[in-house]
Amino acid sequence: MYTPPHEFAINLPPVLSAARVATSSDYVRVPCGRRAMGGWRGAFATLAVSLAAVAAVALVTGGPRQLLASRGTARSPYAIIPYPALLALLAVPTVFALAGMVRAAIRYWRDAVPAASAVKPAVIWRAATAAASLRYLKGGGEECYYPSDEAPSGARRHLHALLFGGLLLCLASTVSAAALQDLAGTMPPYPILSVPVLAGSAGGIGLAAGCCGLLWLKVRSSALTSFAEATAKDYGLLTALLFLAVSGLAVLLTRSTSAFGVVFLVHLAAVVMCFLAAPYSKLTHAVFRFLALVQHEAEVSHRQLDSRGA
Amino acid sequence: MARLRWRRAPGRPARLAAPPGPAQVQARHWDVVVLGGGNAALTAALAARDAGASVLLLERAPSDMRGGNTRHTRNIRCVHAAADAYCSGPYPRDEFWRDLCGVGEGPSNAELADFTVRDSESVPGWMSAHGVRWQPPLTGTLHLGRTNRFFLGGGKALVNTYYQAAYRSGVVIADSAPVTGLDFTGDRCAAVIAEVSGRPYRVTASAFVCASGGFEANIGWLQRYWGSAACNYIIRGTPFNDGTVLAELYAAGAGRAGQEKGFHAIAVDSRAPRFDGGIATRLDSIPFSIVVNAAGERFADEGEDLWPKRYASWGRMVAMQPGQSAYSLWDSKSDGLFLPPMYEVTTAGSIGELATALELDPQAVCRTVAEYNQAVVDGSFDPAILDGCHTAGLTPPKSHWARRLDTPPFRGVAMRPGITFTYLGVSVDGTARVVRQDGSRFCNLFAAGEIMSGNILSTGYLAGFGLTIGSVWGRLAGTLAAGVAYASQ
Repeated sequence: MYTPPHEFAINLPPVLSAARVATSSDYVRVPCGRRAMGGWRGAFATLAVSLAAVAAVALVTGGPRQLLASRGTARSPYAIIPYPALLALLAVPTVFALAGMVRAAIRYWRDAVPAASAVKPAVIWRAATAAASLRYLKGGGEECYYPSDEAPSGARRHLHALLFGGLLLCLASTVSAAALQDLAGTMPPYPILSVPVLAGSAGGIGLAAGCCGLLWLKVRSSALTSFAEATAKDYGLLTALLFLAVSGLAVLLTRSTSAFGVVFLVHLAAVVMCFLAAPYSKLTHAVFRFLALVQHEAEVSHRQLDSRGA
Repeated sequence: MARLRWRRAPGRPARLAAPPGPAQVQARHWDVVVLGGGNAALTAALAARDAGASVLLLERAPSDMRGGNTRHTRNIRCVHAAADAYCSGPYPRDEFWRDLCGVGEGPSNAELADFTVRDSESVPGWMSAHGVRWQPPLTGTLHLGRTNRFFLGGGKALVNTYYQAAYRSGVVIADSAPVTGLDFTGDRCAAVIAEVSGRPYRVTASAFVCASGGFEANIGWLQRYWGSAACNYIIRGTPFNDGTVLAELYAAGAGRAGQEKGFHAIAVDSRAPRFDGGIATRLDSIPFSIVVNAAGERFADEGEDLWPKRYASWGRMVAMQPGQSAYSLWDSKSDGLFLPPMYEVTTAGSIGELATALELDPQAVCRTVAEYNQAVVDGSFDPAILDGCHTAGLTPPKSHWARRLDTPPFRGVAMRPGITFTYLGVSVDGTARVVRQDGSRFCNLFAAGEIMSGNILSTGYLAGFGLTIGSVWGRLAGTLAAGVAYASQ
């Protein structure tokens, strides 16, 4: 009853959004200055740099003829960029992203959790299941009033699950491909009915569908309950992930054509860009929210132990 | 006209319809028209719709203010046989009845009050069936965890839930649609005049339910009974409850029920907004403080009983004081014993400074505090029970939780009466039909909620009871109104 237009104007959602944006900027240090790297300009700059790097490596190692050649059957990515060069190219942004997230996690954890002794495996498990099912985003059981102010809906939760599941399947696809290559000795390209391709396809479709759905909801949501800077970061991440998914699916679809080389490089650039931008994007919410859930579950279990007199 | 069937889509989020235009409102003869948009009105509308009637609900406020005073509520008091997830223990009918008889001068009409108490037992189940969700009570809720049931998200969420249920079941809802007149033929109400999109339209129906609230927002009407004191009242709820429909009903010969000066009022912060400040402006410091009026003198026993049993009497007591103002003063020993006031608390190093800061006569206040301190008998202080800390030989006494005001910093807050709703309304019989001055009744006109609360409440209030009245009588009125409509086909 106190939300605008009431004179008290208690409007909680944008306040919490602003707090989350502040948390991110407090715990993640940006090397090149926020203003230069922020927003669409920063995103396109990163994409351009990634494309240039990827194209340079491809031309140096394979040459333009390999890039544009067509064989009529599926081609291997290693025909465009040999395996060692690809590994080196991807190692840089991956390590960079992981290091950035881990550093942010450690700094947040130090400030947020004074009593680390309360954190047991059961607590971590509860936090993990809460994160996976978005347990605390169900509005007490009746779902949240998003995107409509009039009626509650679980759409955002389900679409997020689709997106997250898709991302996990893409990860599974990469890991299974690595296993097939290094342990079983089978080199790409893999047949359609193989774990890497099926997982990657399902993952890409899920990721793309989740992103499209969440973008659709966001367009229809109320401006009153959103915080502009957070919304901009949301749009940025969703668009980047959508681009990643679509370019990945395009790689699969064009792998027998002459466009494969270029499409593969575009997808590779999208991957590099996503990793480079990850620590400064909304992707960090996975880290901070998960740690906050761990802290919450630890506090709850601590209170239960206290009340039982243990 | 065949008995209408209604569609229900349980569990799916509602697709909310656009509000009806004048053509839709006027073109058809409705089975039931409900005047109002709060708990009683929505309950009546849903009950009538459940019974198969075509229902139009006319909410006067714009949609962001819909729901009347219900927006500010938090819980409902109902009889229940056993503890469950949301109530920590049983609340038998006898105890509820004793509690009701213990407030103010007791119930106005024992039969109607008894029905309200007994019928409340089935209300939570009805509410749950219409989508209402519940939550355990949190802190700052007057220790109501056993007797009262809290709905998830408070009154605004309750209103939203009922609106969704109404849309799902096919109730047609018009907001920004005040009713300006009622058209009677003998003992039948033939139509109401409602404004839709700013122009008056004649809306006809077989039965009408009036659930349009009290007249507490009408300062002019309050002045008739309270004089200029009413200009100093703060109205806790909606500014739209000006009693327009009530006045029309009186003009049409409806009988009166309730006392002219009957209302539910509490002590609120004097800095609260004039209208619609809601629950946040309530002050809970009184039992752990001393209360003085503008002359610096105490006038009532701050510790007479547990706060949940006394909070509703302080509105009236402050209203009786000169200038309708009072001041709650405490020292740092009482910090943390109650929810912090919403606005900043005046703090000072001495009583005299505190009095000056609150624009009181420092000498008078110091004298009062000295007298009080001298009369305090030491005991063991326990805020949770009626403890042994009291005053001796002081008038008025402080019967419990009396401790000396001697530990700086000293704090104080200025208070005014905050009126929740008025009790004076229309007389009803056991079928919720409005009764006329000559004792006969209107055959197709029903009332529910604040507008008939005077049939139950004389003075004084029981937390959560307003919604009980609205739900019990709204359900009865809606069901019987649908029956009248069915019989008139």
